[in-house]
Amino acid sequence: MQNTTLEVSTHLAEVYSTVKGAVYQSDSEKCWYVDFAGKMAKFDYRNILKLKKAIYAIDIEEILLNSSKTADVEIVFICACEHCYVLTLLEIISFKELLEGTFVMLSLNQILHDRLYRIAA
Amino acid sequence: MKDIIRVKSLISADVETLLNQQIKKEAQSSSAYLSMASWCDRNGFDNSAEYFFKQAEEERQHQMKFFRYVLDMGGTALSPEITNVKIEYNSFREIFEEALDQEISVTQSIKNIAARCHKEQDYVTVEFLNWFFKEQREEEYKARRALELFDLIGEEGTGRWEIDKHVGKIHYGNEAGE
Repeated sequence: MQNTTLEVSTHLAEVYSTVKGAVYQSDSEKCWYVDFAGKMAKFDYRNILKLKKAIYAIDIEEILLNSSKTADVEIVFICACEHCYVLTLLEIISFKELLEGTFVMLSLNQILHDRLYRIAA
Repeated sequence: MKDIIRVKSLISADVETLLNQQIKKEAQSSSAYLSMASWCDRNGFDNSAEYFFKQAEEERQHQMKFFRYVLDMGGTALSPEITNVKIEYNSFREIFEEALDQEISVTQSIKNIAARCHKEQDYVTVEFLNWFFKEQREEEYKARRALELFDLIGEEGTGRWEIDKHVGKIHYGNEAGE
């Protein structure tokens, strides 16, 4: 078990992290590992986009202003993906911040690839 | 770190969103034209009904062209939901006014996508959009010509019958000025 953990950690590159969580990229598996809300979850290209869409679609302002007595949690279920998140409002805000940072970094990575390798100097 | 996102998709998330919005817009246009065809047929304007049936079909083809492009480039094409399709129109003329408004709106919307593509240097999508710009030239021309028939012929007497007769004959050559 320990070996597996070690093996995974050696080929992971940190994309973005905050005090609440982090996102790592695995080049060999072509996927991302999202460390958030106490678990490490693996997302491929399609699923991380679905996760982004699901989190961005939550209306934080509406939840803040909602005075009904319902529980302040949001269940984020992603179709055809084994992971599910049950998040409080504060966690949603942190998760959104983490994902926003991640996608900015991925865009930056694309710009760097374009400049360094794809466009002839 | 590999650039996985670019490997998976040629178009950016923003362009993909705009293209999906356009898919919906084309679907709305197609439904609106079908509704116009229905109104014309109900009110005895056979040639105009036929003209709008053809337009509805064309818009559907445009929608599919966008749909397949998004998929071909590695994006997620969304099948749109179309609601609130108008059923009744106040007059024969109003239909043609709305048809022209719709075409203008489609042209502007495609121009907006092209502007975004130029901004992020997505010339692949710009090249794809060029086909639509040529198509819009024809669509706007036809819609404008149809509306002009109302002023030329007039609606009095057998005017509307005469207009209907001419709607089917509107034609746009491949090159401007033909």
